[in-house]
Amino acid sequence: MRESRIYTPEAIEDESLPGLPGANDDPLKPWDKTTVVGARVPRIDGQDRVGGTAVYTRDISLPGMLHGVIVRSPHAHAMVKRIDVTAARAMPGVHAIVTTESPEAKIPWTLTARGAMSQLFDPHCRYEGEEVAAVAAETLPQAADAARAIVVEYETLPAIVDYAAAAKPDAPKVHAAGNLPSPPRTTQRGNVDAAFATAAAVVERTYHTSCELHTPLETHGSVAQWDSGDLKVWDSTQGVYAVRAGLAQALKLPISSVRVASPYMGGGFGSKLELGKYTVIAAVLARLTGRAVKCVLTREESLRCVGNRPANTITVKVAAGKDGRLLAIDADLVGASGAYPTGAVSGYLMLDLYTCPNVRVRESSVLINAGQARAFRAPGYPQAAWALEQAIDELAAKLGIDPVELRLKNVPTVSQSRNGLPYSSTGLADCLRKGAESFDWSASRTRAASKSHIKRGVGVAAGMWGYGGEPRATVIAKLYPDGSLNINSGAADIGTGTKTVFAQVAAEELGIAVDRVHIEHADTGTTQYAPGSGGSQTVLVNTPAVRSAVAAVKQSVLALAAAELKKDVNTLSVRDGAIVIAGETRTVPFAALRSLAQAQQVVGVGQRAPHPTDKVALPFAAHFAEVEVNTRTGEVRVVRYVAAQDSGRVMNPLTFENQVLGGVTMGIGFALTEQRIMDGPTGKLASGSWHDYKIPTAMDFPFAFTWVSVDPQDKDCNSTGAKGLGEPATIPAAAAIANAVHDAIGRRMTDAPITPAAVVSALATTGRR
Amino acid sequence: MTDRKKDPRDQQPVSRRGFLTTVSTSAAAAAVVGVAAPAAAAPAPRDDTGTVAIVLRVNGRRHRLLVEPRDRLISVLRERLGLTGAKPGCERGECGACTVLLDGVTRYSCMTLAVEAQEREITTIEGLAQGEEVSALQQAFIAEDGYQCGFCTPGQVMAAEGLLRTNTSPTVDAVRAAMSGNLCRCGAYGHIVKSVQQAAAARKTGGAK
Amino acid sequence: MLPRFTHVQPTSISDALRELAAPGARVLAGGTDLLGCLRDRAVTADKLVSLNALAELRGIREQGDGGLRIGALTTLTELATHPVVRARFGALSAAAAAAASPQLRNQGTLGGNLCQRPRCWYFRGDFPCARKGGDTCFAKEGENQLHAVFGGDVCVMVHPSDTAPALQSLDAKVRLISARGSRTIGIDALFVLPAKDHTRETVVEADEIVSDILLPPPPAGAVGAYRKIRARGVWDFAIVGAAVTLGLDKKSVRQARIVLSGVAPVPWRVAEAERLLVGHELSAPRIEQAATQASSGAAPLSANAYKVMLIRGAVAEALSDVMGAR
Repeated sequence: MRESRIYTPEAIEDESLPGLPGANDDPLKPWDKTTVVGARVPRIDGQDRVGGTAVYTRDISLPGMLHGVIVRSPHAHAMVKRIDVTAARAMPGVHAIVTTESPEAKIPWTLTARGAMSQLFDPHCRYEGEEVAAVAAETLPQAADAARAIVVEYETLPAIVDYAAAAKPDAPKVHAAGNLPSPPRTTQRGNVDAAFATAAAVVERTYHTSCELHTPLETHGSVAQWDSGDLKVWDSTQGVYAVRAGLAQALKLPISSVRVASPYMGGGFGSKLELGKYTVIAAVLARLTGRAVKCVLTREESLRCVGNRPANTITVKVAAGKDGRLLAIDADLVGASGAYPTGAVSGYLMLDLYTCPNVRVRESSVLINAGQARAFRAPGYPQAAWALEQAIDELAAKLGIDPVELRLKNVPTVSQSRNGLPYSSTGLADCLRKGAESFDWSASRTRAASKSHIKRGVGVAAGMWGYGGEPRATVIAKLYPDGSLNINSGAADIGTGTKTVFAQVAAEELGIAVDRVHIEHADTGTTQYAPGSGGSQTVLVNTPAVRSAVAAVKQSVLALAAAELKKDVNTLSVRDGAIVIAGETRTVPFAALRSLAQAQQVVGVGQRAPHPTDKVALPFAAHFAEVEVNTRTGEVRVVRYVAAQDSGRVMNPLTFENQVLGGVTMGIGFALTEQRIMDGPTGKLASGSWHDYKIPTAMDFPFAFTWVSVDPQDKDCNSTGAKGLGEPATIPAAAAIANAVHDAIGRRMTDAPITPAAVVSALATTGRR
Repeated sequence: MTDRKKDPRDQQPVSRRGFLTTVSTSAAAAAVVGVAAPAAAAPAPRDDTGTVAIVLRVNGRRHRLLVEPRDRLISVLRERLGLTGAKPGCERGECGACTVLLDGVTRYSCMTLAVEAQEREITTIEGLAQGEEVSALQQAFIAEDGYQCGFCTPGQVMAAEGLLRTNTSPTVDAVRAAMSGNLCRCGAYGHIVKSVQQAAAARKTGGAK
Repeated sequence: MLPRFTHVQPTSISDALRELAAPGARVLAGGTDLLGCLRDRAVTADKLVSLNALAELRGIREQGDGGLRIGALTTLTELATHPVVRARFGALSAAAAAAASPQLRNQGTLGGNLCQRPRCWYFRGDFPCARKGGDTCFAKEGENQLHAVFGGDVCVMVHPSDTAPALQSLDAKVRLISARGSRTIGIDALFVLPAKDHTRETVVEADEIVSDILLPPPPAGAVGAYRKIRARGVWDFAIVGAAVTLGLDKKSVRQARIVLSGVAPVPWRVAEAERLLVGHELSAPRIEQAATQASSGAAPLSANAYKVMLIRGAVAEALSDVMGAR
């Protein structure tokens, strides 16, 4: 319900939060050598994932459960004039209907500093798909039939979905206050204009990126159940705590009365970090009927109503001296928020990816009659990389410097956005060097041009992720008499392997096998606070807390053993699930400790310590792509790829590689196929299916794929040495592909995606653009 | 022949004309809005079109069921038989998460009416494992990390099963082609294809199943 | 959610045809297109008449003259993998293999592929477009990048089938049956241009079904190909496609048929381009000449002028394929 913070510079403030009460400077130093951490450990929940036995929100069925279906505006902009539920009310199986007129459903929505901008069912519909009513019925078909039988009369209003047009003064207004909810924000350092005047080379161009839709395989949805005034919700979410906070606020409940769980969830990519209306609707219908209510969106609803990566228009001007050092960057970024305010652009890469003394970034977000944008895997960054990294490519050509070399000349060692604080580690240079070596960059670039109509090209792009995570998490570890360990954490495993990495960290610290660790997670009723699994923070925020909790357990069990075995505790250590006594060959398994059996459990609490105050820990990446462009048909295929990542310690090469594969695949979609298409005059979605909104398939992924880990052995970032991975794995991908296309056909493809239409149209223009 | 009710949305056509026109309103009748009906007052379920009795053979078991003609195989598997392994990702034949085998051939269960699946041998993901012991193919997906969030995984595994039943030593291209009807938004295709190749190799060297 | 309907699965063709004669009845074959259309409310149905118990509508039979009789319920997978189709009717097997996804090819039938409804997003979406009885073709002033450059009129949709142009390149005939009798028509006569009737894509009447597709023997020295240009590597409708079937005598082209997909409301034959090939050696310059000719006369809409270039590309690629395969 809140504006998504992850887009905003304010999000960086989260990094400087103190730890939770009880957290202090983590005394644990990073491991020197590890045996379990860093190993290719298959997922501890793999059997459920491959067996079809993993229970997702979509799979939950409760006794007496009803099904909720939402009625949505078919118009992009309209006023509800009348709702007639008479026919629907009489239909079989119908238990409750709520509409814009129901007092139970008058819940403020889209809370901003200036107050609520809307409500749960708002008669003023500002995009196609906005909620106007909902039905609960015995079966899903009954609820769907009844929803269709609700007659809603609308007064249609002029709609605007073109964000360039929406920014003009005479455009139809999405809200009465206009389509520019806040003035453009300008961030600058140095003297940009003066620097351009002295530069040896300057490039300037305007780039456009398309609106992308998250389309996780599991659509958004919830099951709500009331029990003596307490609300329990199963939600397909990345962050149970954010959903709990939103529900308590929306339904005016004490936080302690709301429980949100998300055992397995089928993908989110940022679109499931916040409370959705469907969850509140399920709760309201459940309260009205006294029955559990399940409300899961259809694919068609998910394409319209639960977020997107906004389209951006980015004009970027970059200057360098003859030596290739960047002198100035001037960037203007405009994006489409949708019908409610959300930061739709991020100029962070312009500010911080390279060392540059003079930078000016202007960011503005425009309201249109479309679904609201949400965080989407590195919000704003792939768009900014698309523009900046193509500009750097063009600048390199102009200066006659190899694009890898040019980037190497400008690698930063301090965070210019954070008052020049040094990085705990900067693997960017190594990413560029090792990636280039693995790709055989120099030879690939100088290969003779193809004489056939299929042209090959190679490209490079760099990236970084500017969010260091919210350093607040609590983990409880419990060791049982049989030597098995329970780790309790509120973090969601959104498919990245979080649970497995937690188990590895716990196993490493306590010297036990991974299969002795059980993870209990993502349930606000039973597990401990963790921030949402987004922003590439899950591992780096939570694993130090896991380690700290297990270290406390270890300390306690060593104390128990010392008393029982009558040894000095300093002579004891743990290995292979047993106590090791210095100077003795015998070991004492945990399960053989009488004192542990008597204690029943040994509990350790771990808190995430605050980030270091004198260093900044952020991840970096450099990607290399080779493409084939068919100049007859405009088809582009990515045929070879190398992704070099500095994400700190590689906790698990298997899941690490998988994250990189996923990031690159998403980048291929951004670069080549994904594009939300709206019908301008009506403001309605044209690309309303997975046929028309095209995400990559197994045929679109390059199997000549290599990832290179650049582990800078970061001892300062946190006690496990891990930095973020999910977002930096996708940030440079599309730009690397665009640069490769340019290398292949000599045309600068400014607009994403690079469709066959775009390629043949570019080729039809004479010469280089 | 039943009298189809006119779709109420049909009365609200989206038009490029008619902006700023007000649809005529009549008195709102919303007395029941927002009020839950007492359970006893709920009208008895009625059925215009009638349910039909069918027999489905799923994973070697026969099930007698009453279904609506419009019920898709996926909803009957999931909601009537409790076999929630097949996942509804789109319910429009565009993602493959609901893939099952019909007489050994891969098929989207969301695009298959339950009434049309009679007399066919239906195999779902639940039919691959022996109790708690997953098949060698499933084991390969675990070993190669052939998934991320896991929601598409049952469909991916069934697509692979369909392939390996007809082609015991597929090339990489054959694997990619066979898996090309199953979307993975997490983008684990690289690992998915490796999993299938590994499973094929294991079967050749006399692995289980 | 699907709307309600009744369902029958007759066990004889005559029963099926009788059921189909009732108003509101629709044919259900593979269902891959119909169920989507019903979900999208692009079509309505009171009763689905399933053909799936009619074994006589399945299978590929070689005819004495070297032709084929293909039952309308034959799946796209069967067509794509059938050795005779692959060896002698290359355009058809290539087109079948290029359609949809493996699962959809396992389910979708040849008859259904010919009778599928348009993929235009306005037709499938919640827009009361002309083809659904409304008064507007939304694509004309809207998002028409995927729409027609030939043959558009009241409606500018493109025919979505891959197999239809391939069959037309093979000079196929289609047999239609109903309780009233049967008729056999050339495949070019199956499809209806919007100028004639923009609410239907084929001449198949509501009580009629496609029962067989008849292929004459291929021309002497036949080679064929189907080149489909699409945005992603698979599971995508043609932006532009080209089916070609040539009869070659040594190096010289004796007979040529080129039919395009993705460019018109019907499969679009480019006879002038064919004429440029006949009697000539299939050389690179000759291919370019024919490919260029294929796009002549195109009348692009606001956002699809690029299709003119893709037509050249698709035809050049298809002809190069057959030249290479020779």
